[in-house]
Amino acid sequence: MSLVITLLPLFSFAQQNKLAVRPPTPLTIKRGTTAVENLTVEVLPGFHVNSDHPRDEYVIPLKLTWQDGPLATKSISFPKPEEIQVGNDRLLVFTGTFDIRSEFAAPAAAPPGPATMRGRLRYQACSNQMCFRPASIEITLPVIIE
Amino acid sequence: MRVSKIAAALLGLAAGVFALSSCTHSSACVSGQNEQKTTAKAAKDRKPAPEFTLTDASGQYIKLSDYRGKVVLLNFWATWCGPCALEIPWFEQFEQQYKSKGFEVVGISMDEDGWKAVKPYIAEHKVNYRVLLGNDSVAALYGGVDSLPTTFIIDREGRIAFTPHIGLADKNEYLNEIQTLLGVEDRGCQDESGHHTAAALFLRPAK
Repeated sequence: MSLVITLLPLFSFAQQNKLAVRPPTPLTIKRGTTAVENLTVEVLPGFHVNSDHPRDEYVIPLKLTWQDGPLATKSISFPKPEEIQVGNDRLLVFTGTFDIRSEFAAPAAAPPGPATMRGRLRYQACSNQMCFRPASIEITLPVIIE
Repeated sequence: MRVSKIAAALLGLAAGVFALSSCTHSSACVSGQNEQKTTAKAAKDRKPAPEFTLTDASGQYIKLSDYRGKVVLLNFWATWCGPCALEIPWFEQFEQQYKSKGFEVVGISMDEDGWKAVKPYIAEHKVNYRVLLGNDSVAALYGGVDSLPTTFIIDREGRIAFTPHIGLADKNEYLNEIQTLLGVEDRGCQDESGHHTAAALFLRPAK
């Protein structure tokens, strides 16, 4: 027990999120049409997260998923990743602030009024010195269907 | 005046040669450019490494106490961890060089996908030491292990002998710690194969 207590301060920083998602702006969409939501993601300076399509098969990609809801998810697209070198490997990663684009469609028969889409962003962050265990952030997107 | 300048130059040259010579044979430069030496904790200050039972790739149950009497490098890692991958060849080398002297590397994989991810990786990388599949309970015993790699050097009595390495460490720090506990010759700035091993050779900063 004393060992665990001794080690706790070493890991307190590691437990902080290395990635944050800005609260999404409410999406207004007309029935029978499509609309785009840009989700803004911020990675702490000095860290990176793997891209949505990393080169290494063992690496955990950045992945955004939307649950079934009042809108249908037509597409999710990520920006062009950066290439960095760690050891002998060249990795495709995201750093800093970037947007993930989601395109939604509102069915013609969707009931008008406020609604919610729920999503989940799974990521795995590293610095040059260490990696952090995969984590997820739950996302709530307010929607107004007209 | 000229004679004194020549004498001073010769003195400086001699001092440089002496410094270079002592660097390759003393422990003052075991950490390469940092020139820092890790020191083993006094026996009375060493805490017992928490006991655990995990399975290896063949399904065999392995306890940490099975290694009592040996020096153990206990490395928490994952297949998705780039800095961990940089250390694995070092650990393979340590295992090969010091196994006969009572040393073993034990890897604990924290992969959520379990052996499905780990088995192909250890086969592909020809990992020559035992790998166990970790879990949150064992990680909690060792402080949570949220960041990888995290490595503990354990003495023959099953106690943690040095401050844990959190993140990519210097190969020579590991070497120094292992050699200290095994009581083998200190090769200073060089590893057993005679190659210089400064961390800068292995790590290139992200742009």
